[in-house]
Amino acid sequence: MVFFDQLAANLIYGAILGAVYGLATMGLSLIFGVLRIVNVGHGAFIMLGAFTAFWMFVLYGVPPLASISLALVIGLALGFVIFYAIFKRLLDAPELSTLLATFGIGLLIEELAKQLWGPDYVGYSWNIGAIELGFTTIPLTKLYAFGSSVVIAALLYIWFQKTKLGAAVRAVVEDRDGAMVCGINVNQIYALSFALGIGLTVASGVLVTLFVPVGINVYMGGEYTLKAFVIAVLGGLTSPWGAFYAGFIFGLIENGSYTILGLIPGVEPFSLTRFLAFMLLLVILLIKPTGLLGGEK
Amino acid sequence: MYIGAPISLSGKFSKEGQMSLWGMQVAVKWVNQKHGGLKVGNTVYKLELKYYDDESKKETVQSLIERLVTVDKVNFILAPYSSGLTLAAAPIADKYGALFNSHGGASDYIFEQGYKYVVQTLSPASKYQVGFLDMIKALDPNAKRLALVYEDAEFSRTVHRAAKEYAEKLGFEIVYEKTYPKGVNDLSPILNELKAANPDVVVGGGHFADGQLLVSQMAELGINVKAASILVAPALPAFYDALGTKAEGICAPAQWEVGVSYSPEAAKKLGIDWYGPTQDEFIALFEEVAGKGTHPSYHAAEAAAVLAYAKAIETAQSTNPEKVRETMNKLDFMTFFGRWKIDPETGKQIGHEMIIMQWQGGKKVIVWPPEAANAKPYYPMPTWEEKAAGKLATH
Repeated sequence: MVFFDQLAANLIYGAILGAVYGLATMGLSLIFGVLRIVNVGHGAFIMLGAFTAFWMFVLYGVPPLASISLALVIGLALGFVIFYAIFKRLLDAPELSTLLATFGIGLLIEELAKQLWGPDYVGYSWNIGAIELGFTTIPLTKLYAFGSSVVIAALLYIWFQKTKLGAAVRAVVEDRDGAMVCGINVNQIYALSFALGIGLTVASGVLVTLFVPVGINVYMGGEYTLKAFVIAVLGGLTSPWGAFYAGFIFGLIENGSYTILGLIPGVEPFSLTRFLAFMLLLVILLIKPTGLLGGEK
Repeated sequence: MYIGAPISLSGKFSKEGQMSLWGMQVAVKWVNQKHGGLKVGNTVYKLELKYYDDESKKETVQSLIERLVTVDKVNFILAPYSSGLTLAAAPIADKYGALFNSHGGASDYIFEQGYKYVVQTLSPASKYQVGFLDMIKALDPNAKRLALVYEDAEFSRTVHRAAKEYAEKLGFEIVYEKTYPKGVNDLSPILNELKAANPDVVVGGGHFADGQLLVSQMAELGINVKAASILVAPALPAFYDALGTKAEGICAPAQWEVGVSYSPEAAKKLGIDWYGPTQDEFIALFEEVAGKGTHPSYHAAEAAAVLAYAKAIETAQSTNPEKVRETMNKLDFMTFFGRWKIDPETGKQIGHEMIIMQWQGGKKVIVWPPEAANAKPYYPMPTWEEKAAGKLATH
């Protein structure tokens, strides 16, 4: 019974963590899908979201749930500024140029943040209770993280499928020249997609702190960048929904495999969970090189 | 007489480097001004610090040691900050027969290389959690169920393997032991198991972020233990800022803190000599050197390392490094940093004890060892429910 209790607990936590991973990867996939830019500075934007939640809570007592929309707005604004200042000029540049640019922006943001907020690990305590399941306890903050992630992903999906602007983005992804011929202002779609990608990423930083309200630090994004890249590839790189599902699966495996690996005598299961998650990535890519929802190519 | 030092004034250890420079300068100032210099025979030597910026780099550290010994003719060297740099510099100093005193390298590995001239002033990693276990044994002989949960990294492994060995000697029962990887953001798989193991006492941790996470998630999952000692994280004020009252009662090992009560009286009680400034004198001198409002932390170890040289040179009545090294084997004395006594074989520090600090009522207090403590340990610590209701770990 203990085995199943712990497996259940780990799967629940894995699902929550996976939803957060998923949202934290959607922005990366969106930007790559539309603009073909690999944002290696991804983690810095997650960090900005985490600090948004932290400062709003500590300075003004704003509940982190409310900071999500603020983070989204900050991210959108930042995205537009960065796009028009930098990437508009680099649209037809070699891939190495955009790669270096995103790398540089990430560094710049992290170092500026360090100058402003210092190198300490900070955190906040938003105690709003928990749900007792008998075999484990789930804090409401973590459930909120899960719920918000699913809702945001769903809203984005509806926007993509049901609105004209969403259709225009899809058209640009499919065929840039064709979209241009149809009268779509491709540059505007690029700007919008970039800003939306950054907005989602900054917002996911708030969710990250709902899941882990401590250890907030200017360099915290690195860990998430690494996972986001893996998840994005797993999800098929260009598909934000693929990224969301893949994140979900990654979280489930990362935590769920712990209980099973623990049955093997003499191993440290926690170190192996990551090994297993990355192995799975390799296997899936061997079977389906375009990723889970990558479509045929 | 020169005391030489490679110091990290730039690079990743620049903050620690600056603090260590101040610590050294304070001790030199005390020796020259308050102590009247070093009397060896009929000569009175004034100490002078000869230091260069090592840029926090191993290559630079090695060439600086060469330079200090061959160009500046320095026989007494203070090691650089961190175990990595200390390990890089040690063989060079040892080769030239210059004494090399480690104040910022806690790794036990440094002292397992068979160096003759390498000695240590701060406590080695293997002693970090030992004092806490002694404390629990003294407070509650019935608290036998011990769990270890720590980061899978060299430093925390050394600390906790030694802790486990020591705990078994003291009669603790190890009910759970697991490691977690670096950069973890969910410890619930381990903590769900830990809860089922029902420990009385938890030791663990590794760095800043995971230490915060460990305590935060223990609170979330309602894992109540009588006492917990976590590496690194709780020793910083940011820990309490982040966790609030959840931090109440949590302990951490530390090399030194302002407020320790090592004193000439404490030394007398142990029947050993006292050397150097008292803590109040040290803090006053530190403010003179570093500027008002700057407070020393565990970098007090640098000052203690200088004082150990001074004491050894005076006792040996010689400035010959070989003679001084031999004398060091017999030294057993106390400074404001604590006791100083080395293992003659390896040069490893065996006299200095880690202090145990505990968060009580939003303040860091020192609860162990008794000769350094400025408060009584709060045991058992309040439960998470009690803490959420506002109970503090105050007597």
